[in-house]
Amino acid sequence: MRLIDIIKTANHNLFQNKIRTFLTILAIFIGSFTIVLNTAINTGVNSFIDKQIESIGGDGFVEVFPAAMYEQINSAMQSGTAATEYNSDTGAAASSRITDSDLAKLKAVQGVKDLKIFHVLSPEWITSDQTKQQYNVSLEYLPTENFNVDLSAGRMPDNNSDQKEILLTEDYLEPLGFATAEDAIGRTVTIGFKQTALCYTKPSDCISTVKATITGVQAPGILAMSGELHINYALDDAIYTKSMEGVPAETAAQSNIIAVGNVNPDQLSQIRDDFEKLGFSILTIDDTVGMIRTFLNVVLIVFTIFGAIALLAASIGIINTLFMSVQERTREIGLMKALGMGSGKIFLLFSLEAALLGFWGSVFGIAVSVVAGIIGNGVAHSTFLADFPTFSLAEFTPLNVIIITLTIMLVAFVSGTLPALKAARKNPIDALRYE
Amino acid sequence: MKPLIEVTNLSKTYGKKSTAFRALKDINLAIHEGETVAIVGKSGSGKSTLMHLLALLDQPTTGTIKINDINSHKLKQRQLNRLRNREFGFVFQQFFMNANDTVLNNVLLPLKISGTRRRTRKKLALEALKTVGLDDKANNKANDLSGGQKQRVCIARAIVNNPKIIFADEPTGNLDSVTGDKVIKLLFDLNKQKNVTLIIVTHDLELANKCRRQIHLKDGKITKDTGVKPQKGAKK
Repeated sequence: MRLIDIIKTANHNLFQNKIRTFLTILAIFIGSFTIVLNTAINTGVNSFIDKQIESIGGDGFVEVFPAAMYEQINSAMQSGTAATEYNSDTGAAASSRITDSDLAKLKAVQGVKDLKIFHVLSPEWITSDQTKQQYNVSLEYLPTENFNVDLSAGRMPDNNSDQKEILLTEDYLEPLGFATAEDAIGRTVTIGFKQTALCYTKPSDCISTVKATITGVQAPGILAMSGELHINYALDDAIYTKSMEGVPAETAAQSNIIAVGNVNPDQLSQIRDDFEKLGFSILTIDDTVGMIRTFLNVVLIVFTIFGAIALLAASIGIINTLFMSVQERTREIGLMKALGMGSGKIFLLFSLEAALLGFWGSVFGIAVSVVAGIIGNGVAHSTFLADFPTFSLAEFTPLNVIIITLTIMLVAFVSGTLPALKAARKNPIDALRYE
Repeated sequence: MKPLIEVTNLSKTYGKKSTAFRALKDINLAIHEGETVAIVGKSGSGKSTLMHLLALLDQPTTGTIKINDINSHKLKQRQLNRLRNREFGFVFQQFFMNANDTVLNNVLLPLKISGTRRRTRKKLALEALKTVGLDDKANNKANDLSGGQKQRVCIARAIVNNPKIIFADEPTGNLDSVTGDKVIKLLFDLNKQKNVTLIIVTHDLELANKCRRQIHLKDGKITKDTGVKPQKGAKK
């Protein structure tokens, strides 16, 4: 019998008992659907992350913090940490702080362009001359050198300027009384913040203000998603210095735990080593994204394992279906053998029937997950992904789909070998006599 | 002339030791091309077993079967399959058709197994159906046919590969006498026109008497053989 005839016959036989075949395919479908959709989401999300990283830029952007912070976090997760002796020279948590001398040493490392202590600012409100309302706001200094920030208008705040500069997001335009992004450029906003020391003595009147010039407006995108307004170092420094007025230097220094800056990306691994020796760790955008990616992959692997378990259960279904099929067609097998069909071909006929069950199950699964993916993408784009029209939540690549289909067919084929072997071993006489 | 089938000291035993049952005991016979042979006997006489052995569907416990002077023991499974596929035709009492398949597909099964091309096998199957007078039913479902028609389809299936020998196991067993006669006439016409050797297993004496030769079996032994006298060397 020619292979093509064996395949056709196997497929024909498959649809002799439609309900049983359908139920078996349904079981495979559940596994294939789960795996295909997961793989598609994995591909989609990863390609989105890649594209975004590419679009953000940020090569050479580093966050630096004391290596001891890692150890503290690690030791906090272990029970029964041994008590350590207090050292008055270093203080309680000195090793997890960045001191001025540390900063100087770090800056001196070759390849480091600039490095500044990251201040956690907690402004009270923002307002402008065009409105009487005050709005909640959060501000963040960002060494913007290598970032490709999408702007609707204007330019980025200049970190080398003495002028206090701020970048608005489009969300703040209307509340602050600007008709368009262009209108806002060059205008002034006022930011209110608490003077920490003063609030102890005059809690009702401890808010200080600072004025800043709007240099640009940021377009929606991943960098705008956090909702923070980016400011230049002059503004950051002004707010921080004023808010810490009257606070003892040592107390203020306790919050100096992260430094941000730019380094030469080509020397990153050398810089990482040098910082390591000084007792500091580096986190780049890639590191941060890598952590997100790892987390995501773990979640998707877990789901894929669910799919694989579903597939395992389905393969038992295949074995059962095929055994019933062999039993039902005992006479047919006997006849074919009597008419000169070899055992190998009989084996192939039944194991291919199993492989075809796998094939139809995975095709069914792929079709439904593509539909689910399209619907999912549509829903996502009209809701939480409205800002990212190019992002496909689920991305189906032909290679993945083919690999999954072939794998499922292989699993099905292997499940079919046991019943197929039984069919192949049947003696034509016994099979024909079988009642 | 060499016989088409030559059987020497053939025995078949089922089961082992204490439960052993000797279905055939020391059978010797020779069948020549173009003969019509009826194997007659009551149920349990071993007639079906003999046919299965002659058709190479089963292995004898002892003894040899020569087909065209070739010892069947010396053939590999693949060659046995090929021999059955090319040279033998089978007609069974219970038809053994794929009920849900078309008449045509049922008839061309042996050609499909031999790997004949699509177009050729369709042509040959239609020719075979014409011989049995059912070419107009080619695309009907096998299940929709009457018993007599089914058996004619089976004959078409048996002759589609243009065999030398047709083995028929109680071919009229499930048919009434009128349709049974039709089927028998078909088989004998094939014998006359194409010189096909017929080996028919039956307990129907009327059918057996239509054959030129009857081999009577009882308890696994030949009690009477009306055929050409066996060669002297063959019988001990």
